[in-house]
Amino acid sequence: MESRNLFMRMLMHAVIIIMVLIWVVPTLGILISSIRPASDVLNTGWWTVFKSPLEVTQFTVENYESIIERAGMGTAFRNSVIIASVGTLLPVTTAAFAAFGFSRLNFWGKRFLFGIIIGLIVVPLQMTFIPVLRVYHQVGLSGTFLGVWLAHTAYGLPFAVFMLHNFFSALPRDLFEAAYIDGASLLSVFFRIALPLSVPALASLIIFQFLWVWNDLLVSLIYLGGTRDVAPLTVRLASLVGSYGQDWHLLTAAAFISIVVPVVVFIGLQKYFVRGILAGSVKS
Amino acid sequence: MKKSLIVLVGLFFVVASSFLNIDVASAQGQVTVLGVWGGSEEEAFIEMIRPFEEETGIEVLYEGTRDLPTVLTTRIEAGNPPDIVHLTGPGLLMDLLRRDAAVDLRDVLDMDTFTAEYDETWLDLARGDDDGIYGVFISADLKSLIWYSPPRFEEYGYEVPETWDELMELSDQMVADGGRPWSIGLESGAASGWPGTDWIEDILLRTAGPEVYDQWIFHEIPWTAPEIREAFELFGQIARDPNYVYGGPVAVLTMDFGDAADPLFTDPPRAFMHRQASFITSFIEDRHPDLVPGEDFDFFPFPPINPEHGNPMMGAADMMTMTNDTPEARALIEYLASAEAQEIWVGKLGKLGVNTEIDPAAYPDDLTRRMAATLHDAPEFRFDASDSMPAAVGSGAFWEGILNYVGGDDLDQVLEYIESVAQETY
Repeated sequence: MESRNLFMRMLMHAVIIIMVLIWVVPTLGILISSIRPASDVLNTGWWTVFKSPLEVTQFTVENYESIIERAGMGTAFRNSVIIASVGTLLPVTTAAFAAFGFSRLNFWGKRFLFGIIIGLIVVPLQMTFIPVLRVYHQVGLSGTFLGVWLAHTAYGLPFAVFMLHNFFSALPRDLFEAAYIDGASLLSVFFRIALPLSVPALASLIIFQFLWVWNDLLVSLIYLGGTRDVAPLTVRLASLVGSYGQDWHLLTAAAFISIVVPVVVFIGLQKYFVRGILAGSVKS
Repeated sequence: MKKSLIVLVGLFFVVASSFLNIDVASAQGQVTVLGVWGGSEEEAFIEMIRPFEEETGIEVLYEGTRDLPTVLTTRIEAGNPPDIVHLTGPGLLMDLLRRDAAVDLRDVLDMDTFTAEYDETWLDLARGDDDGIYGVFISADLKSLIWYSPPRFEEYGYEVPETWDELMELSDQMVADGGRPWSIGLESGAASGWPGTDWIEDILLRTAGPEVYDQWIFHEIPWTAPEIREAFELFGQIARDPNYVYGGPVAVLTMDFGDAADPLFTDPPRAFMHRQASFITSFIEDRHPDLVPGEDFDFFPFPPINPEHGNPMMGAADMMTMTNDTPEARALIEYLASAEAQEIWVGKLGKLGVNTEIDPAAYPDDLTRRMAATLHDAPEFRFDASDSMPAAVGSGAFWEGILNYVGGDDLDQVLEYIESVAQETY
């Protein structure tokens, strides 16, 4: 029995290690490619460096240099921060209010409205481009950060409301009733009970939304456009490559720069993440 | 825990608010350009328009995306098109004309200078049904070229062939000497198969002639016609024969087109010849910085097959079309049409000039100069057919058909499939 257990555990570890390797190897390949000279990248695979890993001369930072020197990458980084920060906070805060209302208030048409919002999760965002862009153009929002913030908010809200609604609904009803008896208003119940209790759910929602907005190419390309003043990193990254796919060795370095921020955000909020994934999954 | 979250949230707001005072671009004295160029191409374009910006004070906002058709269609439908757009083929222009989104340049350009500086070919390609001129070509790529290594040819005693028969004899000779004559790579991500369409186009242009070629573009002859069948078969004789092509059909299907010239430069050479457009030089130079253009690698024109049709040349070109009639856009398109602008452009990128006034000294090297001369002296020029057809066929079923055919599918099935897509599309 004992040895069987040990065997199972070893098998489990082996499977986990293999899975981790499968996920890590491509990233490792990008990292190694990004520090190799262009002609090496084009002629031999990245794994060939392992033949003589200690030979420092085969590595170079010139890919990183040429990206940083290239006009517009700093602006693009700034634009990404602008877009992703507001594009994350706006939907998350709006969704928190909305979800609280849907889970704790009773008003006419609540189920119907909630149904519509949840139904919007399945609408492909590509369908909305032309009509929304038409409206944006008329009111002067196309090519502005405000326009892209609103777009990300609208695209992110249905899922955010759904997730937070389930979490709020799972909070024990007694807590709220006790607060009401003590004379708390609706808003103070929201700010002093519901929000503090849902930090894990909020944190994981922030991670989801941030990663989605940070990595988004399509929404920015359509509503914001690729001019240097406003283009985020993803758009600039895509235009580093020539029309026939030349210069892709630069992509490796640029991709690594754009990975840094999501990794920092993820690690920073990671401890909330696992708890957050379970948010609203079990109703006690 | 809660604290760190609040700090993080606060940080976001601080960062975001510090950036909030950003001017929204005003349309005054600006012109927007949408194109597919990125990387060094984008830099060359910005270099080209710099004198224009300095002289006129108009700011050019360039936007590059490889998803140009999608972005362009969305913007036009939304009533927000760019002022000037770069089109990669007459197929896209036809699309714009159907949407009534292009401006006739006859009222914009000085037509006397324009017709004097451009050959009739380039005017015809930009002409709409109403005789209007809807685009200016700023550069071209010549596709009917076969690349080889002169030192290798010398070493093995091979001569540059002048006809298709000589080319095939030479190929047989190379096989007899134990080598592989050809290197072909069709892989190009989502666009895989396009290098094969160029082969078919070059062959058809020389076996059936430019007239049949034009009929083929407009689907006036079916894909199952004997002329097209023959072109596929001649291509198949090379690409499907493991003796003729490096690595056999498997390598043809899986090798990236950008890597496909490499076998010419290994020691000993894994292949001797590679058919590819003029832009392959930049790929060769990137991969093999020590090779000298014109000495270590060189080209000869794709040879004539049926003497009756001579040796027409096939290629692609970059067209600039005006989609918004503003004074700034007018000024820019006039500048782009000038030899002065194009000299900067071709000098930076090694593309081939179209304006006849371009000073040959503008080209970066002698090899490019000779390619430009080959393009100019061509008795006939035809635009890449796959770029001229509707996208569902030219950049869909045709690519797919090439891959399936090289992969071993029956030719009749392949052609019937493309034909069925064509019938739905045209």
